[in-house]
Amino acid sequence: MPGIIDRLSKRLKAYRTPGYYKKYDYHWTMVVDLDKCNGCAACVVACHAENNLPTVGKDECGKSRAFNWIRIERYVEGEYPDVKVKFIPIMCQHCDKARCELGCPVYATYHNQDGLNVQVYNRCVGTYTCATYCPYDVRRFNWFTYKWDEPLDQQLNPDVSVREMGVMEKCTFCIQRIRVAKDKAKDEEREIKDGDVQPACVQSCPTGAMVFGDLNDPNSSVSKLAKSRRTYRLLEKYNTEPSVIYLKRVMDGSSKGHEERHHV
Amino acid sequence: MLNRRDFLKLIGLGGVSTGAGFVLKEAMEPPVAKLIPYLVPPEDTVPGVANWYAGLCTQCSAGCGVITKTMEGRAKKIEGNPLHPINRGKLCARGQAGLQVLYNPDRVKGPLKRVGKRGEGEFREVSWEEGLSILSGNLKDLTNRNEAGKLYLLTSALRGHLTSLLVSFMDSFGSSNYFQYELFNNSNLIYANSVTIGSGAIPDYDIANTRLLLSFGADFMGTWLSPVRYARSYGDMRQGRPGVRGRFVQIEPRLSMTGASADEWVPVRPGTEGILALSIAYLIVEERHYRGADAKRWMDMLKRYNPDEVAGEIDISVRKIGELAEEFVEGGPSLAIGGDNLASYDNGIGNLVAVNVLNYLAGSIGHKGGVLLNGKDKTFKRKSVPYAQLTKLGDSALEGDIETLILYNTNPLFTAPSGMKLGASLENIPLIVSLSSFMDETTGMADLILPAHTSLEDWGDDFADHGAGYSVATVMQPAVSPVFDTKGVGDVFLALAASLGPGFKKDFPWRSFGDFLKDAWKKIYRRNRGSGIKERSFEDFWSRLLAAGGWWTPSPKISGAVNLSVGKASSHIPSAAAGFDGDSDKFPFFLTVYSHSAFLDGRGANLPWLQEMPDPMTSVVWGTWVEMNPKTARHLSLKEGDMIRVESPYGEIHAPLYLYPGIRPDTVAVPIGQGHTSYGRYAKERGDNPLAILPPRVDTRTGALALNSTRVRVFKSTRSGKLVKMEGSARELGRGIVQTVSNKEFKKMGKEA
Repeated sequence: MPGIIDRLSKRLKAYRTPGYYKKYDYHWTMVVDLDKCNGCAACVVACHAENNLPTVGKDECGKSRAFNWIRIERYVEGEYPDVKVKFIPIMCQHCDKARCELGCPVYATYHNQDGLNVQVYNRCVGTYTCATYCPYDVRRFNWFTYKWDEPLDQQLNPDVSVREMGVMEKCTFCIQRIRVAKDKAKDEEREIKDGDVQPACVQSCPTGAMVFGDLNDPNSSVSKLAKSRRTYRLLEKYNTEPSVIYLKRVMDGSSKGHEERHHV
Repeated sequence: MLNRRDFLKLIGLGGVSTGAGFVLKEAMEPPVAKLIPYLVPPEDTVPGVANWYAGLCTQCSAGCGVITKTMEGRAKKIEGNPLHPINRGKLCARGQAGLQVLYNPDRVKGPLKRVGKRGEGEFREVSWEEGLSILSGNLKDLTNRNEAGKLYLLTSALRGHLTSLLVSFMDSFGSSNYFQYELFNNSNLIYANSVTIGSGAIPDYDIANTRLLLSFGADFMGTWLSPVRYARSYGDMRQGRPGVRGRFVQIEPRLSMTGASADEWVPVRPGTEGILALSIAYLIVEERHYRGADAKRWMDMLKRYNPDEVAGEIDISVRKIGELAEEFVEGGPSLAIGGDNLASYDNGIGNLVAVNVLNYLAGSIGHKGGVLLNGKDKTFKRKSVPYAQLTKLGDSALEGDIETLILYNTNPLFTAPSGMKLGASLENIPLIVSLSSFMDETTGMADLILPAHTSLEDWGDDFADHGAGYSVATVMQPAVSPVFDTKGVGDVFLALAASLGPGFKKDFPWRSFGDFLKDAWKKIYRRNRGSGIKERSFEDFWSRLLAAGGWWTPSPKISGAVNLSVGKASSHIPSAAAGFDGDSDKFPFFLTVYSHSAFLDGRGANLPWLQEMPDPMTSVVWGTWVEMNPKTARHLSLKEGDMIRVESPYGEIHAPLYLYPGIRPDTVAVPIGQGHTSYGRYAKERGDNPLAILPPRVDTRTGALALNSTRVRVFKSTRSGKLVKMEGSARELGRGIVQTVSNKEFKKMGKEA
C-alpha cells in the first residue's frame, strides 16, 4: 500500500507542481475589487453573449441547471433596519491546485501552461466528477443539447464551440480572446501587453471592479493590485490556490465573514 | 468537347462577354449566384475576421455608445465604445442584450394587416407597397376632408434627427399632434431644477469626486439617468483616489440594487424623503454652516422642518438626522441626489426641490464633487414626455378627434395604469398603425403593422440629455443588413411623404433616412464647433464620425454660482408627506413599484438573457414577485414562495412572495417589467403587471405619473405560481465568502490598500 501511495503522490507532484507555469510566458489572473462591485450582473449577461451559453427556461432554472459561468452571489447581514448587503462575482477560480483536475478520469480538464484550468469538451465523457469536486460550484453540465430559437442562433460566437448533451463546461477566462491576442502579438513579434486581453465580464464591468492580466508581468495592473493589503482568495482554507484574487470589501459593522463557525 | 480548363475559362468570360459563356452563365445561374459572394466577397467581409461597427445603445435613454462585432454579416456581440465619453467602453446587462432584440424570434417579420376583430391578434401578411398605400391612402383622405389635424403620432422620447424628421413631417402634413411618452422620464427633475437652480438641463452629478454621497431614492447604478456612467463614477468614488474612500448613504423605504452598496441605509417612511432633506437643511442653517446673508430667512422658512417636529413622521430618530447633517457639512465635498423613487410621489417635484435646497445650503452646487451645471443643449428642442401626454391623447381619442394614430417604439397599453382605460379610448380610433418591431400589447390593437428596423439595422443619432458634462452626439449606423422584411422608421415617413403628392415630396427630397441624416450632419460640420474630429471635406468628416461612433467636445464644465432665493424654494418645497390612495385601516401597506434593473419599463422582458439574469437583489428569474419584510410575513403567517394577492383600491395582482429584509415592515414592493400579455414567447405570462393597480394620479405641474401613490392590502392567493430563485442561502453562515475590512483598518492600510 505505501508503495502505491508513494508512486501516486510522486506522479501527482510532477503533474501538479504549483506555479509550474511561472517559467512560461503568462500567468492569467483576475483581480476583483469587492469594494467596487455593485452586483449589477452586466458580467453575467456579457458572459452569456460571448460564450454561447444557452438559456434554459424557468423549470430548468428551478432545478439549478441555469448556465452561469459567472454569477453574482449576494449575502445579507443583520436584520431590519440594520441590513448590510455584500456582492461577490464568482467564476471558475482557475485553481493552481485544482480539485477538478484530480478528479477527471479522462483528463478532460487540465492545467495549461498559462495557469488556466482548461476544459476539453470532446474529451469529456460527463462523469460529473469535476463538478462534485469543485468547492466553488462553478461547473455546469449539459443535461440536454440546447437549441436556440431561430434566428437567435445567428448571434452565436463562431470563436466558441457550442456544447452538446453530456459535456461539462465552465468559465475559460475567455480563452478565445487570449488566443486572438496571442496570435496578434506573435504577428507583431512581441509579447502580449497589459490590457490586450479582456474577458467579456471584465470588458463590460461598469464600475471597473474586475481587472484581468498577467501576474508574471510585474508591471501589469493585476500585479499592482495583487500587492494590496486587502487581497484574499476564496475559501483559502481548502488550499486550492486560485488564480482569482479578491480585494476585501470595506464595510463597518460586518461580521467580517471570515470568522470560522465551529460545528459541534 | 470542352475540357475542364476551357469550361472554367468560359464561365469566367461569361460575366463580360456574350456567346457560349453567356449561355452557360444563364444555365448555371443558381450555383453562380451562390458562388459569387465567396469569390468576390464584400470588401470588408473576411471569414473568421470580425468587423466592429460603432453605434448607439437604445435599450434605455442614457445614450451610451456601443460597438457591434459582426462576422460574416452577422452581429455577434455588443460592447461599450471605448472612445465614448458616457460609458467609456463599459456596458450594462440591458445593453449587452440588445443583440437579442435584433435576432428575436418573435419579431414582426413583415408588414401585417388586421383581418379579425381588433385586438384578437389575427393578421394577414401584406407587402410593403400594399401596407404603405393603405396608410398613404388614409392620409390623403384626411387631407381631402380637411382633417389633417386628426393624424396623431406617438413615439418614445426620441432624440436626435429622427425627431426633426417626424416633426417636419407632421408640420408639413398639417397636424400638431406629435406626442412622446416615457414611463420613466425626467420631467419632474427638469422642472425642479429649472425653478431652483435656473437650468432646465439635467446637471452632471460628480459622484466620482465626492466624499459623501447622500442618495435619496436614486437607483443611479441600476436605472436612473445614466447607470453605466454613474456606476463608473461610483467605482472611482470608492477606490479611484488613493487613500480617500467616499462614503455613501442611501435613503429609501425599499433598498434598491444601488442602495445595497451603500455604507448605510436609512429606511424612511414612503413619501417623507423631501421632508428629511429639509430637516437636514434646517440643521445646516441652524449650526451656521450656511453663511449667506439670507441665513435668517432660510432659518425662518425651514423652522417647521425642525427634526424634533418631523422625525416622528419620517420615522427615524432625531439623533440620526443630526448625524446626517453633521456628515454632510464635514470635510466636503458632499452631494445629495434625488432619484426616480423620490420623483414618483405626488409631491415629487417638492422632494427634488428639497434635495436642491440641501445641496445649495451645503455649498455643493457648482463645485467639484457636487452638482455641476450643464448648459442647455440648444441643438434640439426637447418634447415634453410625461404621462399627461398620454392622457391628452386618450381624451382626444374619446372625443373622436383622432382619425389615424401612428405608434412607434412605445407600448402605452403596458406602461399606463389601467385606471386610465387607454384601451377603451384606443377603440375609438378608426385606424391605428404601429411601426413596432414586436407584437407588444399596443401593437396587438393595431390595424396595420409596418415593422421598423431595430437599432443595429438602422441609421440614427442621439444627443444625450445628460452627457458627460458636455455635449455628446452619438451616431448609429446599420451594423448588419435587415434580418426580416422591415424598414427604417425614417424611411417609412420619407416613403409616405413621397406618396402624398409632389407638393409634399419637395419638402422631403431625400431618398433614404441615411441621406437625410448625412445632410443634417452637414449643418453640424459647417458650424465647425471644436470637435475632436477636424477634416477638410465633409465626406472625410462623415467617415471618421461613423468610425468613432459620434462627436463630442471635452470642454470645461459649465458651473458657476447659483443663487437660490428663499422665496423661490419655499413655493415649491413639500409641505407634507406624499399622499397615498386608500384608507390606512383597510389598506395597511404602502406600495412601492420600481423599475426592474433588467426590464426597465417592461421593454426588456422579451429577451431571454435578461429573463434568465438573476435579479441582483432577489436572484429571481423568469417571473415577478412581491417583496415583504420577513417580520411582516411572519405576522401574517405567510412564507416565501406563497402566492400573494396584492389589492389596491384600483385592482389586484397575484405574485409569489419573496422575503426581503431590505424593506420597511409597512411597505410592500413589486418590480415593474413583467406581466406582459403578449410581446413574444419569452415575455408572455410571467406574472402580473403592477401598473395595473396604480391610480392614474399625476403631479399637475409636470403631468408626471405618481407611481408610488397607493396603499394596498395583501392576502394569500388561491392562484398557483412558482417562485424560482437562484440563491441558496441569503446568509454567509460563517463561510467567509465576502470578506471585509473596517473603515478604520482601511485607513490604516493607507496607500497599500
